[in-house]
Amino acid sequence: MFAGAIVAVVLTLLYRRGERRVDAQALRYSNLEFLQSTLQTHPWFARLMQAGWIVALCAVVIGLAGPHLKLPVPVADGNVFICIDTSGSMASTDVVPTRAAAAAAAARAFVEEAPTGVKIGLIAFSGNAELIAPLGANKETTLAAIEQIPAPNGATAIGDALRLAASQFPPTGHRVVVLITDGVNNTGVDPQEMADYFGAHHVPIYTIGIGTPNGDVIGGEASTIDESALQSYAQASGGAYARVENATQLRDALARLGRETTIERRPVAAGLGFVVAGAALLVLTMLSGLYLGRFP
Amino acid sequence: MARLTLRDALLRGKRRPRRFGAGSPTTYRGDGYEFVELRAYVPGDDVRRIDWAATARAGELQTRVVLEDVALTLAVAVDDSPSMQVGRSRTLLDAAHDAADAWFAAAGSGDRLMRIGSNYAGPPHAPVAAPFEVGAALATARAALRRGTALLVIGDWYDLDTRHEDLLANLGAWCDCTALIARDPWYEGLPVGGIVRFAGAEGGTLRTYVGKRERAAFFAAVREREAALAARFAAAGWRCGILNEADGAASLRAAFGVP
Repeated sequence: MFAGAIVAVVLTLLYRRGERRVDAQALRYSNLEFLQSTLQTHPWFARLMQAGWIVALCAVVIGLAGPHLKLPVPVADGNVFICIDTSGSMASTDVVPTRAAAAAAAARAFVEEAPTGVKIGLIAFSGNAELIAPLGANKETTLAAIEQIPAPNGATAIGDALRLAASQFPPTGHRVVVLITDGVNNTGVDPQEMADYFGAHHVPIYTIGIGTPNGDVIGGEASTIDESALQSYAQASGGAYARVENATQLRDALARLGRETTIERRPVAAGLGFVVAGAALLVLTMLSGLYLGRFP
Repeated sequence: MARLTLRDALLRGKRRPRRFGAGSPTTYRGDGYEFVELRAYVPGDDVRRIDWAATARAGELQTRVVLEDVALTLAVAVDDSPSMQVGRSRTLLDAAHDAADAWFAAAGSGDRLMRIGSNYAGPPHAPVAAPFEVGAALATARAALRRGTALLVIGDWYDLDTRHEDLLANLGAWCDCTALIARDPWYEGLPVGGIVRFAGAEGGTLRTYVGKRERAAFFAAVREREAALAARFAAAGWRCGILNEADGAASLRAAFGVP
């Protein structure tokens, strides 16, 4: 940057020197006072052209020096936590091959379809919630994390998963929870409270129901799907509920999330902008000079 | 008919009767009356100029026609300041020197020549401090020149201002004054357009935009200035002409109406 500034100064001095040389070839006139009174001249016009030329030159040189400026830039700030149920009921086979496999496939599909720049984290929960992958924009990492989801076992602590997600979310930005579960909460924090909490903070929960209304019998217990609870969570937080087989709404929500941005001051490589602006001004000044300076 | 010369034109001037001179006494050596012809008396002729011997021979009244033989004093002041050193094909100063040479070339054998200015070789001169300043030159001319001297001043007259009006009128009454106004080299219009750099002949530069409107304003202003100067000289009793860069001598002859 410093070297660029020096180059700009040197070029400006050379320009001034060249200008003096041109002055030596100027049209000689006997009495400038008379000429000036006659023409009602506007010397500022010529000065403006000169200033434009120098500014353009400086911009190009500074641009070539590769400066970085802290500028307000739009940043994709979508954050998604996918909370996957790994309770024992997810071993049901009413969804082929199992609810757990369907949930993993749904999670995989959402990660793959998520727009670039959206940060995705993964939480698996059964009797308690476990952070499988923190928020990150690298899809490969998240997809690999989906393979690490534990096998179905234990109770269902939806509220705990939501609380863990709440603690992992950044304090600002656009945040979404994708809850993939069969919906029967039987331990931990009340999910409804967490849904209300998210609703108050404008964090929608998109709930994906896994299972069939008739369900299955796991370990002698009927394993159904509590759709009304899932709808309630979604409604309380401003999200939506869908069965896994027709979760297009969730895809739309994810696509929208990808378009959400916030303005942040970040160091931006401004070299190209300087060069382009300077070159445009140079061309404009040169064309104006050619147009105005032509001899009739 | 003999071709009228610059000298004839000067003699025809208001203070120089060409023919039938009243015989006013002059103090210059060589002045007098040169016989031209005898012709029949015309009522109104001065009876003192009746040639009685010729009348006796001819049997009718004869008038003796004489030409007043006058020694002229020709003085010239040329503005040689840098503002005259501009021009298109040659400088206005070159043209001014041509006009001054033609002025002196008009002198007869008994006439006397004088320059008003600085650093002149040749004819005696009344010194004026360089650079040329029109007020100083006119004041010097008024102090150094005899009454009736034919004075030619050539310049661009940019520094002639209202303070000089009295001096101009006084000199106009004292001498037979002629002013040649150097015509602006761009009298026919500025040949440039757009953003133009002008260099002042006396220093300084001016970068400005010259468009159609500016060219028209300049065209009108140059003519207006020339006309205003001519009017001022006429009011002060001066003869006035335009010095063209191309031919100084012709410019001088034109000022006197001499072909």
